[in-house]
Amino acid sequence: MEATLEQHLDDTMKNPAIVGVLCTDAQGHNLGCRGSLSDEHGGVVSVLAKQAASLTKDPTDTPTVCLESDSGTVLVRTHGTITVAMHKMVS
Amino acid sequence: MGCCYSSESETAEQDGDERKPLIPHPNPDSKPPNGTERNPANISSTRTDEQALLSIINKTAQNIIDVSAADSQGMEQHEYMDKARQYSTKLAVLSSTLSQKKPPPLPSLTSQPHQVLASDLVPYSDIQQVSKVAAYAYSAISQIKVDAKEELVVQFAIP
Amino acid sequence: MTTALTQGLERIPGQLGYLVISEDGVLASSGELENDERAAGVIMQMVRTACRFRLHGAAEPPLKRMSVIFEDYVYAVTISGQKVFVVKRQNNQREPVTA
Repeated sequence: MEATLEQHLDDTMKNPAIVGVLCTDAQGHNLGCRGSLSDEHGGVVSVLAKQAASLTKDPTDTPTVCLESDSGTVLVRTHGTITVAMHKMVS
Repeated sequence: MGCCYSSESETAEQDGDERKPLIPHPNPDSKPPNGTERNPANISSTRTDEQALLSIINKTAQNIIDVSAADSQGMEQHEYMDKARQYSTKLAVLSSTLSQKKPPPLPSLTSQPHQVLASDLVPYSDIQQVSKVAAYAYSAISQIKVDAKEELVVQFAIP
Repeated sequence: MTTALTQGLERIPGQLGYLVISEDGVLASSGELENDERAAGVIMQMVRTACRFRLHGAAEPPLKRMSVIFEDYVYAVTISGQKVFVVKRQNNQREPVTA
């Protein structure tokens, strides 16, 4: 049953540009992760997503937070009750 | 303070009661041990008692530097203010080092902020990609909840 | 000093407004972000949160710029010399990619 999320994370990692992926709930609890993203990142990821959402009054306009560096980007996006972080290298 | 007083009174008692007569007997100079002499002698004896006590107290007081009394009574308002100022400056020194620890200084991410802010945005394809990953993950989580209920029923039924 | 800080920000193409924030508060603001203390506060919190992010136990956060991307606009944020620079830019890249 959890295989659905695990399978999805594995599939996401098949993209060679993606070196890490993480899924967390609204409280920062880690639901699953791969590669460069691990348990310790769950809190920061969920907090960033919440803070970003408070920048707009439009609840339908979901923001994506990007932490950009020269080597790659960590993209954070909320969908419903979960938040996903994806670490993508510059191709 | 207690030490000074007890030594004074001990010597007084030793002189009066213990040194001369080993067995206690009436000594009109220091204390009236007999009830019979009380009525006429009581007034004078209490006076001498008071005088003796007063002289002891005076002597003792001269030899004593009561630090606690000096500290609380002798402090005037400007002294309080001075102390308050001293404490607050000490606290300010300490709290400044504390506040430096609390929010760590912001790191410098770039020396050219304008160029960094003007450079190209993250490709929209990446935004679409993370949106998809999030949407799939959410649906996967939703399936977990539904499946879990069904499987729990099955597991309980087997044994 | 303020003009030197903000001149470059004003020239950024598609900018809708900007903020320059220090530890003590907003140093400069303009356009849609003029006097927007609320946005300044939220972005300051986000910057602090983002700076705690580390990869593989690295000493520094893997960060040169933080972007908060909404449908029609983007907050681009960076830190230089103890100052947080925020530019609100138009997000007009959506149509050509999806088309």
